[in-house]
Formats: sequence, structure tokens, C-alpha cells
Amino acid sequence: MRLSDRSPLTLGAYALAAILALFELAVLWQALHPNVSADYRAYYIDRTTTCLPQPVTGEYVLGTELNFRSEGDETRELRPCGWTGPAGDGTHSVGETSRLRFAVDAQGPLTLMLELTGVTLPGPAQQRVLISANGHDIGEIAVTPDKAERFVISIPASALDDDGFVDLKFDYPDAISPGKRVSNTYWRSIKLTTASLSPA
Amino acid sequence: MHSPSTDFRQDRPTAIVLLLPLIFVLSGTLIRFLAFRYAEPDTEWTQYFDALCRWDCTWYIRMAETGYDTFPVPSRVSAGNWAFFPFYPILVGLIGKLIPLPTIVLASLLSIATAYAAVIVAWPLLGRNIRAYTLYAAFVLSGPLSFYFTTFFTEVMFVLLTTLVFRFLGRSDYLGAAASAALLSGTRIVGVFASLSIGVKALMDYRQDKGTWRGIVGGLLGQPKLVLAIFISPLGFFTYAAFLNYWIGDGLAFSHTQRAWGRQIANPATYLWEGLVNWPNGGALLSNSQILALAAVTGLVITGVLAWRKQWPAVVFCLFCIIIPLAAGLASMLRFMAGMAPITITAATILGKNRVIFAISLIGLIIGAWFVTLAWLGGNVALV
Repeated sequence: MRLSDRSPLTLGAYALAAILALFELAVLWQALHPNVSADYRAYYIDRTTTCLPQPVTGEYVLGTELNFRSEGDETRELRPCGWTGPAGDGTHSVGETSRLRFAVDAQGPLTLMLELTGVTLPGPAQQRVLISANGHDIGEIAVTPDKAERFVISIPASALDDDGFVDLKFDYPDAISPGKRVSNTYWRSIKLTTASLSPA
Repeated sequence: MHSPSTDFRQDRPTAIVLLLPLIFVLSGTLIRFLAFRYAEPDTEWTQYFDALCRWDCTWYIRMAETGYDTFPVPSRVSAGNWAFFPFYPILVGLIGKLIPLPTIVLASLLSIATAYAAVIVAWPLLGRNIRAYTLYAAFVLSGPLSFYFTTFFTEVMFVLLTTLVFRFLGRSDYLGAAASAALLSGTRIVGVFASLSIGVKALMDYRQDKGTWRGIVGGLLGQPKLVLAIFISPLGFFTYAAFLNYWIGDGLAFSHTQRAWGRQIANPATYLWEGLVNWPNGGALLSNSQILALAAVTGLVITGVLAWRKQWPAVVFCLFCIIIPLAAGLASMLRFMAGMAPITITAATILGKNRVIFAISLIGLIIGAWFVTLAWLGGNVALV
């Protein structure tokens, strides 16, 4: 079978090849223009975050102090992403960002209490943690390795949305890579042992 | 790797070709079963197939049973199972609709049958040499890494389809090679590189036929079967990408989801060197990194042998199948190399040349099966 044959079979083969080529080009074009959510794009494609929020209920009774150690409270529904564990010494951050979500219908300002320890991997003397609530910066703290400290941060009423959730984001500019050529999705910074959210 | 005969009848498997692998099916099953009983004496013997199903195998089970994850992933993790190509898990899933067996049992039986077929199909590529054939059959069905080919991994289907691609290419049957390559490109991501092998073979055939490179573009485009083959061969890959576009809106999700496994793209040579010089602690002969790096080096050396023999379609395929995964690290390199049919077939032909080396290799493969299966059951990460 050659091009010069110009038989129906030859022409059919070229026609089929053309159809397949068009299909493959169309798929390629679509693949290069993904139609995905902002969270998907940020985590998988642009790689601008290490924390891909998972659906959680955020179920929480305002004012309750929660234990984030392995023998403590069940906290999965408060942790959308950026955490691993819990272990005996707390729930460890993983990546350069972690999130907590609390389902609370608060009108006035709130007080966030966090008990944190820094990881003991070789690295900076302290771990800075930039905290935001619903996208508003609410503070920066410094956590020391192997030393549990309580931090109290105010969340002004202006930082609260009316969607019934308080979404907290923790960014770790000093996160430590646990080894050579380890992806930043596995970097470490802090351990969370206790947290609460109360009316101010 | 040898070329198949131009005469079909010469490549037809004889009774010994059909029966010999059955001996290794039995010996391999026996060795792996005894290793399982030795490693896990308190586990019910009926759990044999489950015990051998480790690491990615458990992902394939879930895929065969429930298909692909949606987004967000229902188990609320970043690692979607889109990383795994669909052909073999879907095949197992479809057969599972007809045969009501537990998925791992069905998949293991199907893998053994596929491995047996892969060995028989390789007969001409082994030069119809009984020693090379024996070694290859022993390696696939009863060797140290035979658990890859007899539980639920895609490697066994990858080996069968790769062997078919090169059998068809050996006879310049571009459409046969393309049909196999289409399935291959839906089996593992690197399967798509078989398309390049078809292109290289077409170039070689043109040069051999015409004695010149002049007029090559028109000469190739003037072959409708070849043109059709070029677009058929990556069809598995594009069909999967089209599915992912439809399913989660990202046709490249199989690549993007690798981020959840922390894969870092870097210079393959750097990964190789760092693996080779990562010396073991605690008295082990080799570190896991060294084992993985040596597997890649062995693959590259045998690819060099293929190049020396001017088997360029296989060289192109092997280079891409080694270098691309290596750019993401050494993980799974031993499994990837074990599943590279052009490499293992060539190794079998080299080791089968000399009677003494053949005998030592065969004994080594059989004894190695016991120890490496124990390491597999023990969770050795070099085998992941």
C-alpha cells in the first residue's frame, strides 16, 4: 500500500490518520489548558502552595481547648491540610503552610490560643509562623525547637466572614528540609499540641 | 535482542518452548509460597496473594475495584490515583465483573498467565536459543524479582506489550507494533516512547531500502500504514489524557499528582551519582540507594550493548524509559529495570552464551528468588 496507489484503502488509512491526529491535537490543547479549581492549580500546577485544602466540617464548640497529641482529641475535621500525625508530641506541620478550619458563628472578636513547639531538625534557632484568619494577617510568632510555648493571638471582628467558618493559615518561612533533595511538600516547621478559639 | 525470523513458521513456539516456562511457573509459585510461609508463619495460607501485594499493588487493587479518584480525592489526601495508567487495572476490573474472585487472586492469576505469554512471545527475540530462553523464563517466572510479574503490578503487561512491539517491529510490521504500542502507552507513562521506536525503525528501513537519506520525508509520508501507525501508537496515552480532562479537568493530572509524592525533578546524572556514593550504614553490603542506582547503571550498560549492536529502536525506547524516571529520582528503579524487556532479554542472551555462566546464572536466579521474596515481604524499600 503506497500513496501512489490512491486506492480506497490508502485514502482510508490517511483519513483515519488525520482523524487520530486531530483527536490527539485536541487532547493536547485541552491538557495544556486545564479547567480546574484555584486550589488544584495552586498545589499541583503552579506549585505556589504545599497545602491543598481537603473538605472538612470544622466542627468545633467555641471555647473548647483541644489536645492535638495522638492520645488527645479527634481533630481530623479541623485540619484541611499541611499536617501529619497526630503523634505523641503533637500534630506536626508538613510543607510550608498548614491550615485549620473552625466552624464557629462568631460575631465579635475572638482569641486564638496555640501551644506550639519547633521541630528539632538542624536549622534556624527559631521558626517564624505567619498567621492569617480568613485571608487577613493576624500576627507573627516565633517558635523555639523542643520548647512548648503558649501563644495568644487576637482575631478582630473585621477578619471574620459570615460564612460560619474561621479559616486559619500558618505560613512557615523558615521551614526545614529534612534531607537532601526533599520536596517542600515534606518540609517541617512546628508541632501543634493544643489549640482553642474563644470569644475575646 | 535478536530479530524475529522473516519466516513466521520458524518463530512458532515448539512444545519445549511452551512447556519450559510452565516448570518455572510452578517453581516460582512454590518458592514464593514457601518464603511467605517462612516469613509469616502465623498468617493463613489463603492470604498468600494478599501478602505479596505490597506498595503500588494496593493502589491497583483499588483502581480495579472502584476506578479513578474524583477531585478532591475521597480519602482526603493530595495523592490522587491518576498517577497510575489505566490499561491493566481496567482489564482486571473488567474481567472481575465476569469472574467472581477476590481482585488480588484474579489479578495474580492473570499476571502469571500474562508473564507466561510474555516469555513465549520473547522466544524469537532471544535468538531461539534455549539457554537464553531458559534464563529469561526463570527470571520472569521464578527469579528474584518474579513477584513483580506475578502479583498486581503493571510491569507484567508492560513486558508483554513491549515484547510484542519489538516482535512486530522486527518484521517492519508498523501497524502491529502500533497496536501494541497503543496499549503500552495506556499501561505506563513511558510506554508512549514506543512511538519513537516505530519512527526510528521506519527511518532505518528507508535507509536500508533506498541506500540514501534523500527523499526521506516524502518516502515516509508516502507509506499510509506507517503514517497511520505513528498516530495509533500513542493512542492509549491520549485516550487517558482525554479521560482525565473529562474526569477532573486536567489531562496532565497523572504528572501533576506526582507532587503529592514529593518527586523532585533534577539532573538524572546527579541522582545516579548521589545514589552510587550513598554508602550503607550498619554493615550492609549495599545501601538501598546504591541498589537502585546500580539497577539504572545496569540498564544503561545493556542499552549501550544494544547501541553497539545498532538496535536503535530499542536503544531509543530504553534510553527514554531510563532517563525520564531517573530525572524524578531513583525510586522504583529496580522494578522499572526488571520490566524493561529489551534489557532483560539482551541480558539473557549474553548470559546464555556460555554454558558455565548459564548454569551459575540459573542457580543464582532460583536461589535469589527465596531471599529477595523474603526482603519483599519484609518491606525492603529498594524493591518498591
